[in-house]
Amino acid sequence: MAVAGPPLAQVEGLTYRYGGTERDALTDVSLTLEPGELVAVLGPSGSGKSTLLRALAGLVPHFHGGRFRGSVTVGGCDTRWTRPAQLAGTVASVFQDPEQQIVMTAVTNEVAFGLENLGTPPAEIRRRVEEALELVGALHLAGRRAAELSGGELQRVCLASAVALRPHLILLDEPTSQLDPAGAEDLLATLPDLGSAAVISEQRVGRALACADRVLYMENGRLLLDAPHAQALTWLASERPPFAGAPAIPGLDAPSAGPPVLTMLDVDFAYHDGPPVLSGVSLQVRAGEIVALEGPNGCGKTTLAKLAAGLLTAQSGSATRAGRAGYLSQDPGRYLVRDRVDDEVALAVGGDRARAAGSLAAFGLVDLARRHPRDLSSGERERLGIAAVAVAEPDLLVLDEPTRGVDPVRKQELAAWLAEYAAAGNAVLVAAHDRDFPAHRRVQLGIREVARV
Amino acid sequence: MRLAPGLAPGAAALGLAGAAAAALLSNRVATAAAIAVLLLAIVMRAPARRRWPYVVGGLVSGLGVFLLSPVLAVHGSHVLWSGPIVPMLGPLDVTREEISSAALHGSRLAAVAFAFAAYALLLDHDRLLAAVAGARRSALMAALAIRLMPTLERDAVGLAEAVRGRGVAVEGLRGRGRLLSPLVAGSLERALNLAESMEARGFGRAGRTRQPQARWRARDWTTVALAAAVAAGAALWL
Repeated sequence: MAVAGPPLAQVEGLTYRYGGTERDALTDVSLTLEPGELVAVLGPSGSGKSTLLRALAGLVPHFHGGRFRGSVTVGGCDTRWTRPAQLAGTVASVFQDPEQQIVMTAVTNEVAFGLENLGTPPAEIRRRVEEALELVGALHLAGRRAAELSGGELQRVCLASAVALRPHLILLDEPTSQLDPAGAEDLLATLPDLGSAAVISEQRVGRALACADRVLYMENGRLLLDAPHAQALTWLASERPPFAGAPAIPGLDAPSAGPPVLTMLDVDFAYHDGPPVLSGVSLQVRAGEIVALEGPNGCGKTTLAKLAAGLLTAQSGSATRAGRAGYLSQDPGRYLVRDRVDDEVALAVGGDRARAAGSLAAFGLVDLARRHPRDLSSGERERLGIAAVAVAEPDLLVLDEPTRGVDPVRKQELAAWLAEYAAAGNAVLVAAHDRDFPAHRRVQLGIREVARV
Repeated sequence: MRLAPGLAPGAAALGLAGAAAAALLSNRVATAAAIAVLLLAIVMRAPARRRWPYVVGGLVSGLGVFLLSPVLAVHGSHVLWSGPIVPMLGPLDVTREEISSAALHGSRLAAVAFAFAAYALLLDHDRLLAAVAGARRSALMAALAIRLMPTLERDAVGLAEAVRGRGVAVEGLRGRGRLLSPLVAGSLERALNLAESMEARGFGRAGRTRQPQARWRARDWTTVALAAAVAAGAALWL
């Protein structure tokens, strides 16, 4: 809960535009943050949430350049005259992609990196590292190397790196995007114990709302709502229902029982000389059916999805497909190969831009067709990835975490599109942490020594 | 996997540098080749899927120099094979002296490549970085640059998989070549994100401290002394 006292941060009339763009990322945003309060920032993809967090860290404008009007004051420092490195310690950030913010090779050194930069007495560093790891439930990772960790584990390490600095304000940009539901709930539950004010940008709005004292809602760079939790819930329920936290995705009709499109029998798999990841897995997906693969981080969902799509070959057992398979990897926004959005989609259909336009329309990307894919927001990239796979209309569509970073409105649209796609006689296999995502059948992968269906 | 458990990374790095220097300073094929083989044996301790680009790179470079330089060089009097006269290059004769010189240069290059591979694959770069008293920013940049190789390798696998997942074959040199530009773009984007993260975590601020480091022990000093002795010996006698 908020503590009475001088404001921790103040944003006044902030309007900001990134260099080389023609639209303001933030328009006339004003808000105040009090010490100790937990604030959730909601809004569609590309609404300016991440930019607001960067402005609070001083990275906008110092790191990104662009046009900056208005002011941001954090801990009494005006960010126009204070570099982000000087604000570090007062502010700590956890960015969207944990893999792209790891500097050191060992977990403990990674957490110590910020402490060393801030001049923490050497004798204190180890203790603070251990405390931070323990606080976020990652003490067991202390002896590990960053390259060996899963995305979810890396997310915890990044949070520990921020927490170790004992900042007054912690900025979290999609901090649970790679965690399974239990892990995400555990992690968000630790926030009140940190003693810092926290601003959390999340697309899984239910979780963010559950821990927030106050809610901000943004659209097109404007702050439309800044209200305490209860008042915000009322506003969201009436004005922006998909962001009110309750699952609003409609259920599915019973599938039409088509012929099997994917049949996996007694499949075993291990990477190189490593331990088995899957053992004795059997799975069938029929035409017209959406099957969700569920399970905790590290249980082998991605491996099973790749085997289903034919990108990996099982060491024993069989995986047979009737027809073509398409596969959407986790984090598809990282794997873009063309210079234009429409060309990216057209790649799978021999450069046919007319077919690409249909797929872009289905995923709300028509207006971005001429943009460079790497200029899109993370949610837009995610949708682009799906459009680029779906355009070829594979008989079996395999999606690995397709809702990561996707806002609730787009998630509803994706669910509706998948239902239609399956109803047209295609099979869909979705590996997802998202329990709300509709499916005809849910398959649970366990994590013991090896995963089994 | 470590180069030598219990050995300080700084001492291990200097040991590798000494071995590479010895190969470069030696004028005997047998010495340079023996050092290259020794370093290759060390590199083989790294996991197979990580070591292969380094091993292939080192072998191809060394063999490439060995095979090409006798044809292109013109020296020596003991002709073993007389080839045609090629405009610009002259006679493509191969002499015994040219083969001996090519073997020396090829061995030297392979030794240096394997020393770097052992450094990149088997040393604890965090501890090495922490041991650098001055120029820490440059040392960190060097450490990050060395880590670029495995990161690029992972990105390349992910990129090829994403394209294959769309039903587009990634085959042959041309198919893989097409992924080069997005791979570079992705790595630049990663570098920017990393730089942003480092700035936000106070990198570059004055008054930096570092975690307490273990002192060098007798075996570390012995390794460095041995490396210096081998390099000096190679220059003078080997």
